[in-house]
Amino acid sequence: MFRQTVIIFLTALFLFSCHTRKGKESGAEFEVPDSVITAEGLTISSEALEEIVQNVSSPIEMAALIKEIGVPFSTNYLATTDYVDKYNTSFKMAYNLGVFGADLGYLNIYDKSNQVVDYLTAINKLSDGIKVGQFFDFETLKRLATSRESIDSLMYISVNSFNNMDSYLRENNRGHLSALMITGTWVEGMYLVTQVANEKNSPELSDRIGEQKVNLNNLLLILDNYKGHEQVSEIIESLNELKELFDNVEITYEIGEPETVEQGGMIMIVQNEKSVINISEDQLNKIISKTKQIRNKLILV
Amino acid sequence: MKRIIFIIFPVLFTALFPIQLMSQFAPGFVEQCATNSGKDATYLKDFQVVLNAALPDQVPPIARFPLVLSKNNIYRFSICTPGDSPGKAVLQLFDSNKLIFSSYNKDTGEEYNPFNFLCQKTGIYHVFISFREGKEGHTVGILSYVNK
Repeated sequence: MFRQTVIIFLTALFLFSCHTRKGKESGAEFEVPDSVITAEGLTISSEALEEIVQNVSSPIEMAALIKEIGVPFSTNYLATTDYVDKYNTSFKMAYNLGVFGADLGYLNIYDKSNQVVDYLTAINKLSDGIKVGQFFDFETLKRLATSRESIDSLMYISVNSFNNMDSYLRENNRGHLSALMITGTWVEGMYLVTQVANEKNSPELSDRIGEQKVNLNNLLLILDNYKGHEQVSEIIESLNELKELFDNVEITYEIGEPETVEQGGMIMIVQNEKSVINISEDQLNKIISKTKQIRNKLILV
Repeated sequence: MKRIIFIIFPVLFTALFPIQLMSQFAPGFVEQCATNSGKDATYLKDFQVVLNAALPDQVPPIARFPLVLSKNNIYRFSICTPGDSPGKAVLQLFDSNKLIFSSYNKDTGEEYNPFNFLCQKTGIYHVFISFREGKEGHTVGILSYVNK
């Protein structure tokens, strides 16, 4: 009896030692021999960094805006997944993981499940590449995308996977990869919205682009902590060129107290403290052009 | 020997399954909460909170989450508290140190869950989650984007 108990225990020990946090087992939680990890300290407090990092770029919100103003879906705005195997450094993998994450958000918002699988496959490869594959439940996402059985679940798991990958990287001293992933998402989101703005004149789009001045400044603050990495430094250099253009965009604030209204049986708080974006056509065009240049350069193999 | 095994078993079990033991939420609970936010809402983020009860004369514990909200977007904030949580959750939205809205009005006893927020200024905001009367509890806050 005693021997049986020990055998059962040892078997259980062996089986559960293979347990991963979530989803699949590939890319499990082992030490990452990542040559790019450095012991350099953060130049701003980790709490402040955390504050800034949180959802600084949401592909869902960018894509939803484009859909809401009636712009039809176009594959022309998407980054190709053809070269995914050639992204062979952790920097390229992390950056392009963010890029494809933004494109996945765009595809999901337009419910283009047939094209989603290519992007899921690319994301799966890249997330395995930087050892965060355990947070990306590829099989479930693929099943949801192909069966079209629940777009809500597809959206939830997609967004949640990226949130978890980002948190995991930050909590495991790989904040530079998290920063690169967020940068990839932000640049691709910017590319998407600026390309649409290039084809369609819309005050909502101009406003959304102009207010990215705030997010770009936050993003640069995050990246600045990892400027010791050559590739991050190059990205900072490129984004600083964009920042120079944004510096001329004026944002002013109107003070006001929030008010509560009822809409469709639900309480809605309307914020009356408003930001007013002043962006000229010339500034907008320069930002559109610079964004395209930076985005295309950064996704190059 | 058997005595040693009886001592080692619980220790090893606890070490092996910390997440399962500590998790206050049933599998699929967060997803369920997210999908229950409404057909017109798209999940963006969740805030999972487990707080101890406040000690006498202590300020009730609060979980604090920073987030970036964008101008012209409508966001939905909802709270999903499992039935076995002793405390009822309260979600508050702050802009810097200014309270914008609370899901619970202490004076009237009214609860607003979910509530929508029409953002007119892009920037960093904070969500605070606590439990009424400083009780212990566990809950999930959900941030969704409301499709116009």
